Amino acid sequence: MFTRIYDQIANDYVNLTATIIGLIVVVAAIAYVVAYPRLFMLGVKNLQRNFLRTGLTAGAIAVLGLMITIIWTIIYFIDLITVERSKDLKIIVTYKWSVPSQLPMPDADYLDPSSKKFLPELTENGKPLYGSKDFMIWSFYGGTTDPAKITPDTLIFFFVMNPEQIIPMMDDMQDLDPKLVEALSDEKKPYACLLGVDKLKALNKKVGERFKLTSVNYKGIDLAFEIVGVFPDGRYNASAIMRMDYFNRAFDLYKQKNNNATHPLADKRLNLIWIRVGDRAMFDRVGSAIEGSKMFSREVKCETASSLIGSFLEAYRDIIWGMKFLLVPGMMVVMALVMANAISITVRERRTEMAVMKVLGFTPNQIFFLILGEAMLVGALAGLLSAGGTFLFFNLKWGGIPFRIGFFPVFRIPESAWMWGLAIGSLTAFIGAAIPAWSAREVKVSEVFSKVA
Amino acid sequence: MRTFRNPFLNWLAENPGLAAFAFIGLVILLLALVPIFLYLMPIRKVPIIYNIRNLQSRWKTTIVTALAFTLVTTLLTFMLSFVKGMDRLIEASGDPGNVMILSDGATDEAFSNLGNFAVEQLPGDLQAQIDFYVKEVYVVVMYMVPDPLPGARPRRFVQMRGLDNMPKAALMHGVELTAGHSWVSDAGAKSIGPNETAKEIVLGHGVARAFGEDLGKSIVEPGDVIRLGPAKWVVVGVMQEGSAAFGSEIWTRDQNVMQTFGRENSYSSYVIRIKDGSIERAKKAVAALKDVKIERNFQVFTEKEYYAKMSDTSKQFSAASYVVAFIMAIGGILGVMNTMYAAISQRSKDIGVLRLMGYRRWQILLCFQFEALLIAILGGIVGCLIAFLLFNGMTVTSIISSGAGGGGKTVVLRLIVDGGVLFTGMVFSILMGALGGLIPALSAMRLQPLESLK
Repeated sequence: MFTRIYDQIANDYVNLTATIIGLIVVVAAIAYVVAYPRLFMLGVKNLQRNFLRTGLTAGAIAVLGLMITIIWTIIYFIDLITVERSKDLKIIVTYKWSVPSQLPMPDADYLDPSSKKFLPELTENGKPLYGSKDFMIWSFYGGTTDPAKITPDTLIFFFVMNPEQIIPMMDDMQDLDPKLVEALSDEKKPYACLLGVDKLKALNKKVGERFKLTSVNYKGIDLAFEIVGVFPDGRYNASAIMRMDYFNRAFDLYKQKNNNATHPLADKRLNLIWIRVGDRAMFDRVGSAIEGSKMFSREVKCETASSLIGSFLEAYRDIIWGMKFLLVPGMMVVMALVMANAISITVRERRTEMAVMKVLGFTPNQIFFLILGEAMLVGALAGLLSAGGTFLFFNLKWGGIPFRIGFFPVFRIPESAWMWGLAIGSLTAFIGAAIPAWSAREVKVSEVFSKVA
Repeated sequence: MRTFRNPFLNWLAENPGLAAFAFIGLVILLLALVPIFLYLMPIRKVPIIYNIRNLQSRWKTTIVTALAFTLVTTLLTFMLSFVKGMDRLIEASGDPGNVMILSDGATDEAFSNLGNFAVEQLPGDLQAQIDFYVKEVYVVVMYMVPDPLPGARPRRFVQMRGLDNMPKAALMHGVELTAGHSWVSDAGAKSIGPNETAKEIVLGHGVARAFGEDLGKSIVEPGDVIRLGPAKWVVVGVMQEGSAAFGSEIWTRDQNVMQTFGRENSYSSYVIRIKDGSIERAKKAVAALKDVKIERNFQVFTEKEYYAKMSDTSKQFSAASYVVAFIMAIGGILGVMNTMYAAISQRSKDIGVLRLMGYRRWQILLCFQFEALLIAILGGIVGCLIAFLLFNGMTVTSIISSGAGGGGKTVVLRLIVDGGVLFTGMVFSILMGALGGLIPALSAMRLQPLESLK
């Protein structure tokens, strides 16, 4: 988990900024408590004194913090998958000019290091530039359990692939229980499949049960399946995986049943080829070798996963822009306004108290930090608890935020969200309270007492 | 279903759930506005000038609170204007008299593969109902951005539709060309230089603007050459703005698409115009076509049904907008509660004096509730105004999809800040003010006159 948190912070400037702000706030808070323990206790007592106001302000910060955590999770995830990595790049090989990419299955052999047809230009000193575990092929097989009523609940789209490629090559599958792969690879059960939690629920089935699908993308290739396992809760909740050999055999059977006539889409059933390379230089080398090869039956192109996903998500560009640059900043301004309002009311009510404090020897700076400290304590705690609560609630209940964008049905809230809450709460409290705290600092003792008199 | 002469009554009959929701909303709004109505009536109440002066004397707090309302209302109105734009686009897409045929099981045109059949293969009674039909092949193709900026994506997906008869397709889909522009010629290609020809295309207004940005101008014009897939294409026309979902598409001859993108003899859809163009006859034709088997079963919809199925994304964003607005409103309510509680604690002596002057508890309640509403209305009006000025008519890119089995179409739509959107924004603002002011006003009402004067 700590490695994951480190990665989240090191690879994202927002997480890094939030962490820096969070650390500054924590260090400043500790220094404040150590240097001025009485002042800190006075601030806590002041917050308790008007508990209703403290509660309302914290409540407003918390609900807006919740919303920002939800929205930023989606933005963060999309940024993460569309930003180019510098190492462990995945090349996706597809038909060059249109989607969906449809290639003949034998084309995969040119890129499979374990195949005799492997392209010689992808070798160095007789050794392939990437290993067998860095290679994966995908087809997509879609079908419905109820051809009369095709709905998202009756539809299943399978990643058709070789089971041994799941753990080494699929994103976020590195921690998958190897027993699931073993179950999927069982030679006696070519019809085995793995399903996500949501799909299992939609089908109303359990592990060990069987179902039949009428294909929606390969007419006449209707298949039966047995569920042998379920993916862990999260990103793959709405996904499904079936075996490539079972899929290929179905086309052979089709040919046998139809007087040796091949299925119309038989030579268009390979959709994506994935290759993992170490760095950008190797990406360029492998990519140009593949794109330059004349062996493929159709022109192919190579791009990184992030680039391809980015192209698919292009349609959401403006929506994401609105979320990022209108909704989130707008909500942060509302948070700052709520805080500014609450603190300015507090300061106005406590002007006499400030004057007395000055008479008692408190310096203007101490009064400034007292007020600012009160605001930041409320803001930081409300923000932290709000983001933390959102993290726990959504991740435990749904495995993340259930909001479908493209092919992502759920967005897991990252651990760094706790830092977002702390940073946003503190920052908006600081911005909202700075001016009222300054006006408290500037309270004139003579003016206040002349009014009281 | 019974039909009425009055269109409003018809709407009520067709949308009972929505009507009930609107009715409940209206009742809540009227209840929230009761203090305003009562203040306008000739009954004894705390003078309005008392509230106005109080708001003036606490002008900083008033402005900050109103600003929070303004922001929440602006953001809500922005989200609703997007939803409205999507709804309007989907409503405008699809003619009631058109019937769409896709291949069996296909949830989207992009996944549909139909053979090249002739209308003469259909049963005679069905043929008699058909006015004309168009064969369409729809592909999503790669567009290479010319001279992309550093770091920007060098390619994008764009949607291309090949048609066997473009003028008929335009008539069928209600698409019109910009004056002076032309449809793709029968040859489908023209010379763009010595020994060089390019295939002809007509661009939707939205996509023409997007390509224009890439070429450093506001919109592409006839004569501009664009690289799509492995070929060069010359623009011969641009559709007029408001061509619904087709405004984001590129149209050309069917053969151009088939030859360039490997879709030989494969269409995505057949669109049939029914003779009298009525939805009833279109529905009957749909039922009849579902039983027709030529090489495989058909998936048949009225065009309206097809686009209604594509509204899943819109519904999702609509629901999300209301959830976001609701949660923001809770933040706003807590903020206004803070303000009103402070106002009451500062003016507890005023309340005592007012009670001693003979004002009753409900009049005190009314007085504070009126004040909260004034701030809410002020903030709401400014918020709506800002949203109208900033967002109305703004062009954005989005997607419509059925949510079943992927696919979807990229669309360019305009944000719409109309009366309905502004009304909803104002209702939200007023409800925030009413709910945020109510509990503090109730506590003010309960203050004992002598206690509050201490």
